[in-house]
Amino acid sequence: MSVLIIIFLTAVVALFAGVFEQGKFSRYISILGLLVAFYVSFLPEAEFFNQYKSMFDYTVNAALFTKIAIVITILLFFLGGFSFSNHRSHQSELYALMLFALCGGIVLFGFQNLVTLFLGVEILSIPLYVLAGSNKTDLRSNEASVKYFLMGAFATGFLLFGIALVYGSSGSFDLYKIHQFSLENSKDLMFNAGAVLMLVALAFKVSMAPFHMWSPDVYQGSPSLITAFMMSVVKISAFFAFFKVMSIGFFGITGEWINIVGVLIIITLFLANVMGLAQSNAKRMLAYSSVSHVGYLGLIFFGLNNLSAYNLAFYLFAYSLATIGVMMCLIWVEKLKRETSYNAFKGLAHTEPLLAVAAAISMLSMAGIPLTAGFMGKFSIFAQAIQTTPFLVLVAVLGSAISIAYYLRLIMVMFFPKESSFKTSERVPLTYNIVAVFIIFALLALGIFPDLFATQFGM
Amino acid sequence: MSYLLLTLLLLPLVGSAVVFAWKNSTSKYLALGFAFAQMFLSFYMLANFDSTPTVDGVLQYEINYPWSQFIKSNLHFGIDGMSMLLLLLTNILTPLIILSSFNEKPGYRNTFYGLILLMQFGLIGVFTALDGLLFYIFWEVTLIPIWLIAGIWGQENKKIAFTTRFFVYTFVGSLFMLIGLIYVYTHSASFALTDLYNANLNASEQTVIFWFIFFAFAVKLPIFPFHSWQPDTYTYSPTQGTMLLSGIMLKMAVYGLLRYLLPITPNPVLGISGQIVLVLAIVGIVHGALIAIVQNDSKRLIAYSSLSHVGLMVAGIMASAILTVKGTLMTEGGEGAMVQAFAHGINVVGLFYCADILYKRFKTRDIRQMGGLAKVAPKFAVLFLVILLGSVGLPLTNGFIGEFILIKSVFDYSKLAAVFAGLTMILSAVYLLRFYGKAMFGEGDESVLSSAKDLSAVEFTVLASLAVFVILLGLFPQPLIEMVNSSLKFIFTSMMN
Repeated sequence: MSVLIIIFLTAVVALFAGVFEQGKFSRYISILGLLVAFYVSFLPEAEFFNQYKSMFDYTVNAALFTKIAIVITILLFFLGGFSFSNHRSHQSELYALMLFALCGGIVLFGFQNLVTLFLGVEILSIPLYVLAGSNKTDLRSNEASVKYFLMGAFATGFLLFGIALVYGSSGSFDLYKIHQFSLENSKDLMFNAGAVLMLVALAFKVSMAPFHMWSPDVYQGSPSLITAFMMSVVKISAFFAFFKVMSIGFFGITGEWINIVGVLIIITLFLANVMGLAQSNAKRMLAYSSVSHVGYLGLIFFGLNNLSAYNLAFYLFAYSLATIGVMMCLIWVEKLKRETSYNAFKGLAHTEPLLAVAAAISMLSMAGIPLTAGFMGKFSIFAQAIQTTPFLVLVAVLGSAISIAYYLRLIMVMFFPKESSFKTSERVPLTYNIVAVFIIFALLALGIFPDLFATQFGM
Repeated sequence: MSYLLLTLLLLPLVGSAVVFAWKNSTSKYLALGFAFAQMFLSFYMLANFDSTPTVDGVLQYEINYPWSQFIKSNLHFGIDGMSMLLLLLTNILTPLIILSSFNEKPGYRNTFYGLILLMQFGLIGVFTALDGLLFYIFWEVTLIPIWLIAGIWGQENKKIAFTTRFFVYTFVGSLFMLIGLIYVYTHSASFALTDLYNANLNASEQTVIFWFIFFAFAVKLPIFPFHSWQPDTYTYSPTQGTMLLSGIMLKMAVYGLLRYLLPITPNPVLGISGQIVLVLAIVGIVHGALIAIVQNDSKRLIAYSSLSHVGLMVAGIMASAILTVKGTLMTEGGEGAMVQAFAHGINVVGLFYCADILYKRFKTRDIRQMGGLAKVAPKFAVLFLVILLGSVGLPLTNGFIGEFILIKSVFDYSKLAAVFAGLTMILSAVYLLRFYGKAMFGEGDESVLSSAKDLSAVEFTVLASLAVFVILLGLFPQPLIEMVNSSLKFIFTSMMN
């Protein structure tokens, strides 16, 4: 909870820096606040917050996920200087809103109570509805914002309906009391209906097919750094909430919803990978790739053991690092070429080799090539799921096979042409190079020594 | 903990990092230096090498280091007889491959040589890994450098298409192997090789796992009908890329077949699955050879000849495997395959280099437009013929012994199969001698021939070294057979349980 308070205060200070015309410091204030929060996230929870344990508990898993979310946000904020260079007048709001969204995410990591779940989902989503539309002059951005808001509000309605039914049948909002109820009353129709409605709502938030229709348009229309934030931090938070609710809260009725999740995974993996293949715009392709990763993540529900939360954290961290690696490259290309089709990337390896290599390693990690963190993440999830449902692992592997084609296309267009299509003398800012080196190092280090994840994040 | 093995493993990796950072035209000499150092290190390790220990005991050169607390897999590397043979092949061919690119105009950049060394690192990892996960990881690691080499320096108008097909096809194959290995892992104590051998799988599980893991090798070797990626990739890649692919990379699949597939799933070998593989391999022999006979593109011709030779290797292995699982221990197929793998590596690298030399002289790969080079380049004619006859399998060349043992092992299983497999001896002579005749003999075009020079120093060194190996191993093949004897006996005995 102290982490939450620190981030919230940072957000307020960053916001008010803009009020007093000191907007250019808001990025530094935010990063500083996040660094403090990261340090505090390693410390045990203060005694004072035990009185809120029924609402929010800073468990071991909450700590782990909080740490990775903060690291990803810090990396994204490093990229903010160049990427928000057109938004100088209102950048303080952007950073503050992203920090508020992160607060929502942290609430979702530690929730113990369906009310807190709802709070977390809303605090996570509402700033994002605004952020998606922050390119006020871009029609696509406006479309993204409205689409996201309308569909998100509708999904929240489903969530509330589901919570109401679950409360009505079980008599409590508390996650563990619901867990107990699910074990004893697995045939309660109202309870099951509530569970399915909540599943639908959370599947929407996480962009699992067929509830993913909003994500390509929203991801493509939003400013690229916000898209990166949505693809990484929001997905981490929403998916962990999804995982926690289903695997703890509705544990007793697993037999009812596990088949639904299985079918959703198959649809997601098939749809997202095939659609990704059909894209000619790199940003839209990455949106579909993001949806496909939700499919791989969904396998975590099968063969649950006590390492599942750890494997989930590892995969999400590897995937978020890779997302930053690719989006960083995309932000640069978009700023120079004003478009993100595949041809815009032509020959990037000749002018900005570091950025291109970071993007290439990130995409190979997303595809699951060994020696990268993404492979270790996929391997752990496959090894867990193959014991109960080998068929789903086969579908996931086929999905991986299809996905490599569209990742390769982007790598090829960056590396294979004989000369670069970037005729400018503008060079990538230093922060981008630092982040690129960090991403390459982190992806390879976690791929070769996966236990670094456990040791660095204090498990 | 063997520091020699650690150095052998890490030297190419360090070398590639240094070469990547070395932005100079002298990067090729640096790369050659690292490759030679690696070669001499492996010769030194060979000098004291005892090939009798097997993987379930204590090996002479072994590394076994704990890796992850969450995954039951160790950093387990070791060299036994089979690995040593293929390591020698890799470490002898890599400097020759690097040397063969010296006179290219314009020269290759440092990234090219860095990628070759990175590839060497991956290959050594594959041949020394004694842990299923590690084997898979290095298997995939080899894919990236070769794909980049093929894609950046391949033939311009074709490269996007063929590199994508090559990567995706091979990757899909490896993914099936991954599922297979994960499934066996969940039914065994750990990923360690000996634990994978002792995994408890029932008959139907074994059949499914057999086909999943075999699919990766079937695409890589390639085995008919999974070979559609091969002719294009071999033809349109730069010569050094093709040499790496055909010379060493396909031996990875032969090695994997012996080390990882057959002992883990011996049951299906006995049934219809083993026979299907045998038949496909033999079909590949004849199919590859027949198509090679009508080829006019020199590199494509050699690619189809490679398809044909690989079919024979697999047919021999499967024949011995089927007989072993039936009850009589027969390691001949494995021995023949290993000797043939070494010989084929040398021969095919030589052939592709000769094709490259022909291309440089005639400015075309079409053999119908070549001719008469023997008059102008006698040294080349002799060395080319030696390597070619090695590939044909003339007695006293390296290609003969392997082919002979393989056909005998197929014969022991089925005389009819041996008739078809033996066709390779006749057909290879047909297409290779046609190639030689069209390129070297006859009238030729005077305008082209007058400017065609004989071998340069670099070309001579590479071809002469390869020709020496062709003759030497033809006269003294016994050391190779003895080297792999013990490890193959262990593998085939594991199949009998």
